[in-house]
Amino acid sequence: MAKAEMKKIEIIALLSDSKKLIERLQRRGVVEFCDITDERLVKMNTASNIASFEKHLNAVLTARQILSGYAPLKQSLLAGFSGRKEIDKHDFGDIVPDVDDYLKACYDIIELDKKIAAANASIGKTEARLDALRPWEPLDAELDFAGTRETVCMIGSLECKEDITEHIGALMRGSDDGDEKEPPAVSVTEVSRFGSKVNFALLCHKDDKTIVAERLRGAGFTPPPESGSYTPAERIAEYEKQAQTLRETVEKCTQSIAAYSGMEPQFDFAEDYLRLRSDKYEAIGKMGMTRSTFIIEGWIPADCAYKIQTEFEKKFVTAIRVYDPAPDEEAPVLMRNNAFVQPVEGVTEMYALPTAKDVDPNPVMSFFYYLLFGIMLSDAGYGLLMTVVTWIILKKTTVEGTLRRSLVMFRNCGVTTLFWGALFGSWFGDAPQVIARQFGVEIKTTALWFEPIKDPIKLLLFSFLLGIIHLFAGLCVLFYKNWKQGRKLDAVFDTIPVMLAVGGVAPAGAGIFVSTVPANVSKIGLMISLVGVVLMVLTGGRSAKNIFAKLFGGVYALYNTATGYLGDILSYSRLLALGLATGSIASVINLVCGMMGNPVLKIILFLTVFPVGHLANMAINLLGAYVHTARLQFVEFFSKFYEGGGRAFAPLTVNTKHLKFKEENING
Amino acid sequence: MDKYGLAVAIIGAVICAALAGIGSARGVGLVGQSAAGLVSEDPSKFSKALILQLLPGTQGLYGLLVAVLLLSQIGVIGGAPQQLTFAQGAMYFFGAMPMAFGGYFSAVAQARVAVSGVGIIAKKPDQNGKAIIMSAMVETYAILALLISILIITGLGSVINAA
Repeated sequence: MAKAEMKKIEIIALLSDSKKLIERLQRRGVVEFCDITDERLVKMNTASNIASFEKHLNAVLTARQILSGYAPLKQSLLAGFSGRKEIDKHDFGDIVPDVDDYLKACYDIIELDKKIAAANASIGKTEARLDALRPWEPLDAELDFAGTRETVCMIGSLECKEDITEHIGALMRGSDDGDEKEPPAVSVTEVSRFGSKVNFALLCHKDDKTIVAERLRGAGFTPPPESGSYTPAERIAEYEKQAQTLRETVEKCTQSIAAYSGMEPQFDFAEDYLRLRSDKYEAIGKMGMTRSTFIIEGWIPADCAYKIQTEFEKKFVTAIRVYDPAPDEEAPVLMRNNAFVQPVEGVTEMYALPTAKDVDPNPVMSFFYYLLFGIMLSDAGYGLLMTVVTWIILKKTTVEGTLRRSLVMFRNCGVTTLFWGALFGSWFGDAPQVIARQFGVEIKTTALWFEPIKDPIKLLLFSFLLGIIHLFAGLCVLFYKNWKQGRKLDAVFDTIPVMLAVGGVAPAGAGIFVSTVPANVSKIGLMISLVGVVLMVLTGGRSAKNIFAKLFGGVYALYNTATGYLGDILSYSRLLALGLATGSIASVINLVCGMMGNPVLKIILFLTVFPVGHLANMAINLLGAYVHTARLQFVEFFSKFYEGGGRAFAPLTVNTKHLKFKEENING
Repeated sequence: MDKYGLAVAIIGAVICAALAGIGSARGVGLVGQSAAGLVSEDPSKFSKALILQLLPGTQGLYGLLVAVLLLSQIGVIGGAPQQLTFAQGAMYFFGAMPMAFGGYFSAVAQARVAVSGVGIIAKKPDQNGKAIIMSAMVETYAILALLISILIITGLGSVINAA
């Protein structure tokens, strides 16, 4: 139970066996490689191999994404929960030579996608040119036509609202500043007009070229978008042809990519294969070599060590040594818990993994986690729904890994939610009462114990009581941890005085809220508490050297305990608040459902508001319960004994996403 | 004066639901903005961002809860409004205030933490649990406010209804 004991393992074998041996180790997945730093051994630099695998892996992932854009896979609702497919290791070996073909396909897809992107960009550019040229289409002359022997032709556009011939005529007459010279003669042909922009061709005598050009320029004359020895119509036809060809390219490439659809499983295989290779080479980079042997050093869970040793010694020519790690070595952490505890490991991981000195908090925590979660959500209807839905998903799909762990956790939490909900009489809020009322039946209460809204103080005190039990459980773990590490004095003095002081004060504290606490019970309690306080003041400063520091340490410990535990215990009032919130909002939803007088409207309202409202309420309170239960564990419970900060055990293993080997992986 | 007793109590419920609701709306809006920015970069982080966005939304629910509880205590829900003296109405009014103000300010403060949490999701998506927990720390005070409001209102209800 709890944390697995870790041993060091050293494997020395023939270099000729290295590939097979490491692959077998990878399939077993129980050895974490340590980097060998002995300078007398040769090391293989595998960085370039790993980089090339990563590059291919990226290509596969990119190709897979592109492909899903062109040929989306149809997936069922539960597909997100399906686990890895099983594959026989010999079948795996048979497919491996094809991976090069798969990779070629991947690079092909990426290439095609690039082509499509480039073609689309060109289409955009060509279309922009087409748009600019279209107004010139009626012009029946080459765009760079400069004129005849005696005339000059100018092609371009001007902003002008009136008739273009008159406008240019006025321009040519110039300003009436007494210039007696004859205005230059021009002939203007309008090509097209878009709003106030007029495109035209102008002919004038070549002697007048300079003055005409100058006056036009002064008025904002702009040349056509392009120039060349072709008519606009010819050019437009050419562009249209270009765009057509580009569109055909896009079409063809799209089809080529779509033709790869159906290869997704192969790409998944390639992805997994590359991951395996990359991991393997990373491990190889850590081992040391002589001319004909290699050496691996690593961590292994103690219970797997013997099995691995015998198996490998039988299979290979090898010398294996399993030994205890040096005391200063920080062993990686692997948690091994039973089916009840294991689902909440994720919650602890979210905080921090235990260090070598820590006790695995999961076994104690799991019990409280389920319990507190149930009170916070505390609706039997929601609990039932949670349990059934998660149970169906777990039964119907092959979901695995952390997702499976979370689902199991929520299933267990659903059961406790059902339990507390039934005690407090909340089934989708007060739905049974509301529905019964429609048929003229009056149900008083469905609660097996009591309804919190009728007597919140009772539940508040119960929450504090649970809180005290939870905190004391934390102290017990501290006691166990210190005792086991041989610090027996600390074990006693860090826990017993606190328990006496806090536990003794509790009845008197409850007396503030209710008057039913017998006077002599709180009196005896206060006396016990006093004993605890005295013990605390006497022992709290025991690590200090002189008598004053000892005393000061004791008072300080008392102050810390008083403020800390008061806050900690009051924090459990959230059990009441969150539980009430779920039930009350559920009742508001039911109230809305029953509001209409008309029976038809009532049924319509019921069919819409009831499911949507309750689902939303359940979702938001589920999140609340999840978060606040975690908070109670992290802040109130863990602070009593837990340090955290360990490193997760990361063995060389079959770290695949889509496939798994049929052969048993010892680590699960 | 005493004819205003019921009105004062209802004003308390209204302010409670409204202030806590405004706080949550602001909070969810704040987080939503930064979450949308994140999702535009990486749509796969939508679900993680959504959870953070939801966190400051609970205060609005608590406000609603206290308002409904108050209204049912004074019989406005249930169709038989009570005759309250001005003092009784004022007591209900003040009973709702912890949730009104605690809800408003904690929602906005919680949203600020959640906005920073969106940054955690952007850079280290596997650490999103920590972002959630940090943001939930702020909610503790909304819960305490909810608790005291519930205790005052149910306490008042049992005293006044018994009299």
